[in-house]
Amino acid sequence: MDIASEAPASFRSSAHRPSSASLLKDAFREVIGRQRLIRYLISADVRRRGSDTILGNVWWVLDPLLQMGVYLILLSVILQRSTPDFALFLFSAILPWKWFASSITDAVSSVVRQERLIKQVQFPKIVLPVSAIASELINLSFGAAIVLVMLVLFFPAHATVNVAWLPVIALVQFLFTLGLALIVAAVNVFYRDVGILSGHLIRLWFFLSPSLWAFDSAAGRFGAIEDALGEVGVSLLRLNPFAILLTAYRDVIYGRVNAAGDGFTPGQPPDLVALGALGFFSLGLVVIGAIIFKRLEPAFAKVL
Amino acid sequence: MTFAIQTRDLGVRYSLRFTKKTSIRRSFSGMFRRSGGERSFWALREVSFRLDPGESLGLIGPNGAGKSTLLQTLAGIIMPSEGVVEVNGHVSTLLHLQAGFDQELSGRGNIMLAGALMGIDHRVMEEREEGIVTFADIGAFIDAPLRTYSSGMRAKLGFSIATAVDPDILLLDEVLQTGDEAFREKSHQRIGEVLAAAKAVVLVSHDMSWITEFANRAILMERGRIVADGKPAEVVALHMEHSERRKMMRSEALAEMKSGRRRPGRRKEIATDLPDRTMVSARRERPGP
Repeated sequence: MDIASEAPASFRSSAHRPSSASLLKDAFREVIGRQRLIRYLISADVRRRGSDTILGNVWWVLDPLLQMGVYLILLSVILQRSTPDFALFLFSAILPWKWFASSITDAVSSVVRQERLIKQVQFPKIVLPVSAIASELINLSFGAAIVLVMLVLFFPAHATVNVAWLPVIALVQFLFTLGLALIVAAVNVFYRDVGILSGHLIRLWFFLSPSLWAFDSAAGRFGAIEDALGEVGVSLLRLNPFAILLTAYRDVIYGRVNAAGDGFTPGQPPDLVALGALGFFSLGLVVIGAIIFKRLEPAFAKVL
Repeated sequence: MTFAIQTRDLGVRYSLRFTKKTSIRRSFSGMFRRSGGERSFWALREVSFRLDPGESLGLIGPNGAGKSTLLQTLAGIIMPSEGVVEVNGHVSTLLHLQAGFDQELSGRGNIMLAGALMGIDHRVMEEREEGIVTFADIGAFIDAPLRTYSSGMRAKLGFSIATAVDPDILLLDEVLQTGDEAFREKSHQRIGEVLAAAKAVVLVSHDMSWITEFANRAILMERGRIVADGKPAEVVALHMEHSERRKMMRSEALAEMKSGRRRPGRRKEIATDLPDRTMVSARRERPGP
């Protein structure tokens, strides 16, 4: 019987080392050709999240809301911060950050978690981190809905048509996350330390990004950080991809806090030069990530 | 006539630097020490054979001989470190298909997931779904999440999916005796059917009756190399003879080690004759003075 198949039937494997270009082509073909598999893996992932807890998928929305609540209390009550509409200020950065952090956390363990499967069935392993990232994309859409509702209902003074930029900013972030995820998922197979270390690095990265504070403003006592880091340090901080991304999100959702930190201008377009440059960089990162992943993939079954 | 499987000078090397399983590392540490401090070992070396359509090959050998590694290489799961593997046709591995099961998906969801993992088009899988469900015979549970299944139900579903695949080349690791008595009988018959339908079969088993019943050719592997290749009955006999010898030497060596008569330096002599993992590790645990 002739089996209609999404995978090649006959094959020839030998010890030769394929070129980076052919690895990249393979990665692309595998992701496109195995969409069904990716879809099944995503639906399993969404169900798992839903069944582990009583509130199920509601947690994905509740979690950043509570996190925002904690920072709101910490910063406005204890540290006496008086940024206007501080809740929106925080939420516009915490939500995309949570998207990034949980994507990377899921992706890191996506390959090692399927140890048994990898040793027993031949399939393109790249679908594992890709589906981990993609299922977080579904979760993000819940969060994005909340942000928009919050913006229109409670903070109409901030709302402008510039929120239409959100999908563009999210696309850049998605590419950046995907590239990084491919690298950490593959390397974690060989050094499990990556998984442990990444949790701490992500937390440090959060505080070094304009999440609780903003550049060029007294909001978030950036002055103190500026003093501590010096001029070179601050320039480096601005090169951080999440300095560009979180600032862009805040620009289009919240607008800008003024220099004194007591007033704001409503939503405005993001810095397109910086965003465009980051977009190209992220695309490059995806290419490099895919090549690294494919290069290491043949060893997965042996090492796990 | 075109071949089904062909390997030439196939070798698979494992790097011990990245092997997490310390027990394996310890077991083989004697081996790589002898080969000049190299931190790797060859699970397969210079394996060359050709399997033609119509042949049903039984792979036998002691633990750690490289049977499973060879099967994984033929399935494309592991890439060769040297040499070439050529496979002509659609391969299916009847390994532990339960490995691909997802706890949250229903039985039906898992049928589709397993098909997608094996690279079978979803339309083909949808056609086969009813047949698989009927054979598994687990009633209304087929629509419940897999985490509600008993281990027997899982095994039945796994077997039903695995044998519904209809491959050209079938790679079989001994895992198929599952489920209750009635199901086992049904499954034995099904294996016979699948074996007859496949163009070529490679079968790994420690149960010699399986080899003599289902294979028309056998290969004996020891320490990653092919030792004998021929008629099942003859190769099985040779394997039995070798295992007897290994067992005798092991008990001898153990007895002498206990009484302390043998000096550490001399143990190597028996080991190089027919070493296996247990003896190598026994030597390592008792370093000489």
